[in-house]
Amino acid sequence: MPEFSTTREVKTAKGRVPGEVGIWLFVAGDLVVFAVFFIVIALGHVDQAEVFARSRASLDMWVGVLNTLLLLTGSWFVAVGVEKCRTNPSSGVSRYFTLAILCGLGFVANKSFEWGGKISSGINPATNDFFMLFFIFTGIHLLHVLVGIVVVLLIRNTSRRPALGKREMQTIESGATFWHLVDLLWIALFALLYLL
Amino acid sequence: MKSIENDPLFTRAMVFCAWTGFACVVFFIIGGVILGGMLPPLFNSAEPAAEFARKVSENAFSLRLGSAFMVLSFALFGTVGAGIAAQTRRVEINPVFSIVQTVFGAGGMTIGVLVAFAWGLAAFRPELYEPSIIVTWIDYAYFLALFSVPLFGGWCVVIALPILWSEEGSEPFPRWVAYVNLWAALLYAPGLLIIFFKDGPFSWHGIVALWIPYLAYFGWIMIMSFALLGATRQQGTEPSLRTESA
Repeated sequence: MPEFSTTREVKTAKGRVPGEVGIWLFVAGDLVVFAVFFIVIALGHVDQAEVFARSRASLDMWVGVLNTLLLLTGSWFVAVGVEKCRTNPSSGVSRYFTLAILCGLGFVANKSFEWGGKISSGINPATNDFFMLFFIFTGIHLLHVLVGIVVVLLIRNTSRRPALGKREMQTIESGATFWHLVDLLWIALFALLYLL
Repeated sequence: MKSIENDPLFTRAMVFCAWTGFACVVFFIIGGVILGGMLPPLFNSAEPAAEFARKVSENAFSLRLGSAFMVLSFALFGTVGAGIAAQTRRVEINPVFSIVQTVFGAGGMTIGVLVAFAWGLAAFRPELYEPSIIVTWIDYAYFLALFSVPLFGGWCVVIALPILWSEEGSEPFPRWVAYVNLWAALLYAPGLLIIFFKDGPFSWHGIVALWIPYLAYFGWIMIMSFALLGATRQQGTEPSLRTESA
């Protein structure tokens, strides 16, 4: 045990990591990978400026805005749900997670309509490099959303337990962290693919 | 389950397995990176077959020697995998995941040595082959390595699950190792895209489908090797001792 000198007050800040360390490692790792994706998109804008600009213009920005709103709203529900789990767990808390799941499903449905519309008008990943990146990266993100929905289902089930101990809160917070990551990744993708 | 305190063979065996992991990475750097041209890729999926044949002929010895180092590297997937399974086994009362891990690890090792075989065969007698045969061998090597996502990714998942599902204090490895495994599985996933693309970031020479999975995989080997060393040091996540059931 280290001995602290009485003349020097060593204050160790006891910070608490929401969820657990592991999920933050996962989040950091995923951000690194998506950073590579973002660089690839940015390089495309540089190398093939005209193709990318023209293709981007053919995307419906409001579809992207709706997707952003759906995920942000879902994140809000998750955040409120987590807060309620911490302060006032009751039988009603799981409804927030249910609402978040509905937002996620709304995102999936909206994305399906968007893709379906593009594909039926002859635009697909082979059309040009912009659409290759568009479909593949939003596809990889969509997989994250699907995993995220399963994770929020897991949180929802956990939140319904009669007692929410340390372990349950860890699960809930870790799952919520993943959902927020999915949201964050979309915001960056939305900006790079629809706006810039 | 028994304590490892009076089990020096366990410690030696685990340290051995851990060091084969470090050796695996070193041999890949020699065989796959420096000599063999696997990463960074010497070949380009979009190039004509004649170009493949030319590159093989010009680098034949280097590719052959590289393949020998690579087969050594990839065989060591087995020792790392078995070490992980052995540590997982220690926290199980009735083994399931350790068995699943053994199966996936054996599969991973087999796929790995096939990668090295294919690479070597491409350079074995190129003067005899049609250039398209050389392309096929290189395609085969990369498909074995990259398209096998359910095997290598699945392996990561069956390592993560028994950690996350263990009671607190009884995990085979620290919980963060489970999350690293889930992250690695995610990073392997783009390897499935290589079947759809012959050029660009999602082809077998691309930044997303080649570099990310390879860097993730060998990073995973390093991390798991350290985790195996950790298992010998009883760093507080040592599985709690339970008496063996009669």
